[in-house]
Amino acid sequence: MKKSLIYLDQENIQNSIDLLAVIDLMYGKGNSTTYAVCLNHLGEEVTGLVDYIINIKDERIENHDLVNLTNCLDELQKTYAFDSILIPATQTGRMLAPRLSMRLHVGLVADVTAIEHQNGNLEMVRPAFSGKIMAGIVNKGRLPIMMSVRQNVFNYNSDESKNTEKIEFLPTNIQPSTIQLLDSKEKERSLDIRDSEILISGGGGVQDNFHCLDMLAQQLDAQVSASRRIVDSGLASRRIQVGQSGKTVSPRLYIALGIYGSLQHIEGLNNVENIISVNIDKDAPICSLSDIVVVGDAVEFIERLVKKIKNNRKIETGENL
Amino acid sequence: MNIICLVKFVPDVDNFMYDYDRNVLVRENVKMILNPDDAAALAFALKVKDRHPSTFIEVVSMAPKSIIGQLEDLLRRNVDKATLISDKNYVGSDTYITSKILAKYLKAKSFDCILTGTHALDGDTSHVPAQLGELLSLAQLSNVIKIDESKFDGTQAVVDVDREKVISSYRVGLPAILSVQKESKYKLPHIKFKNLNLNVSANMTIVSNSDLNFDVNEVGIEGSLTKVSRTYPKKMEKKEHIVVNNDDEGIEVVYQFLKSKGYV
Repeated sequence: MKKSLIYLDQENIQNSIDLLAVIDLMYGKGNSTTYAVCLNHLGEEVTGLVDYIINIKDERIENHDLVNLTNCLDELQKTYAFDSILIPATQTGRMLAPRLSMRLHVGLVADVTAIEHQNGNLEMVRPAFSGKIMAGIVNKGRLPIMMSVRQNVFNYNSDESKNTEKIEFLPTNIQPSTIQLLDSKEKERSLDIRDSEILISGGGGVQDNFHCLDMLAQQLDAQVSASRRIVDSGLASRRIQVGQSGKTVSPRLYIALGIYGSLQHIEGLNNVENIISVNIDKDAPICSLSDIVVVGDAVEFIERLVKKIKNNRKIETGENL
Repeated sequence: MNIICLVKFVPDVDNFMYDYDRNVLVRENVKMILNPDDAAALAFALKVKDRHPSTFIEVVSMAPKSIIGQLEDLLRRNVDKATLISDKNYVGSDTYITSKILAKYLKAKSFDCILTGTHALDGDTSHVPAQLGELLSLAQLSNVIKIDESKFDGTQAVVDVDREKVISSYRVGLPAILSVQKESKYKLPHIKFKNLNLNVSANMTIVSNSDLNFDVNEVGIEGSLTKVSRTYPKKMEKKEHIVVNNDDEGIEVVYQFLKSKGYV
């Protein structure tokens, strides 16, 4: 039986949980005892999903204190001798993983997006050169195998409910931190569509109803962009035009509403992770690039999806419908 | 104040050519450029030097010797010293070994702050700054988008860090490693016209393994703890897509997709 540790980053619990899917891919389902470690946090989110939750309990350690966090994980490795340590590639994770791997004198693979088994070797796959090539990387050093895992790539689903045991860990090796958090402020939003993670984009199919896109953008904390058709008809400014004569964008999600997807428009999409297109013509060129094609009217789609998101938010926050 | 800037020269990936017949990236004749995040970090150091001319800036890079010309151009921008760590035995080192090599050089130096970039265009692992933090027993912060010049005095730095949803300010005791992002908008100045052909060779030092004395088995491909077993181009194939109708069922599919990817 293998032993694997995942780091629960409070700033992104879901992505931390998804690391369990990577463990299954590495060793096969059920072949590893799973430990989740979290800092000054009960880790209730993984109750039933892992075998052990280790709560590092020491108020002196703050989230940004990577030195002491490394000290703790080093102590844990000495106690439990994990076969693998997986850390989500969040900002904290990307600082923690290299520090810890150096402390443990083990190799590290960053931003893993897939697990392969090649000739009996475990191969960790990651993008390089801005995602233009993929590299399969094997560990030749000693254990544990360490990796940081790209966010939102893996998805963990399990029906089984484990009997999770809780362990309280009181670190013995804490040093004074030289980093002090002064304050945090909300980010000012950039109005440049090139900086947007999610773009709600409208084309000829929405025309006069272009303003409806704002409703959906608001719900997804996204920005609105447009195809040339919309800009040429004066419904939107050229600042938000996507395509050859507009801007090249790289959002994670592009929702194409009533966009046909001419070659000139697609030129403007670079490294877009996911595309959802809504179109009355399911054979429009944009559809072949999409993860999901919704056949139908774009404005109706906006109304339905906005309603759905609002309702589910109410359910989640426990508000009466 | 002594500032060391660690810089890396990377292939200009945006101008990579792709050979669709052979299914490979054409890496020959690709221009090497100063990694944008590293350039921003160096640009900040030069701003500090403008304000306090006694500031000493050393640029350190591990690279092949073909990069000397580009390092000289940094010296012509008012950098005081450039150190090129270069040895054929170091070729193929992974981030673990690269950090060990850099750390061995840096341990012998005295400095108030090490500045680096956060991301690199080529590998983009962001490992080296954090690994150096461990090896040199220093605090390290990535994603720095602002360093308050007025408070940057050799004992502390007040920095703004982009933490995706929020911007956090931290006070960091120096020495420390601060890793800047190009979003900081610190811009490397052009070389002044009168300095275009300035002879700077006296300020260039080349460090090889005869200085750092690693056993050749501990470095390069041999010493690395990870190995690239294969590379392949990311397939630009058409996606297997789901087609749904614009009804409750279809909206449910879209919603679940958004949820699974963390968009809602």
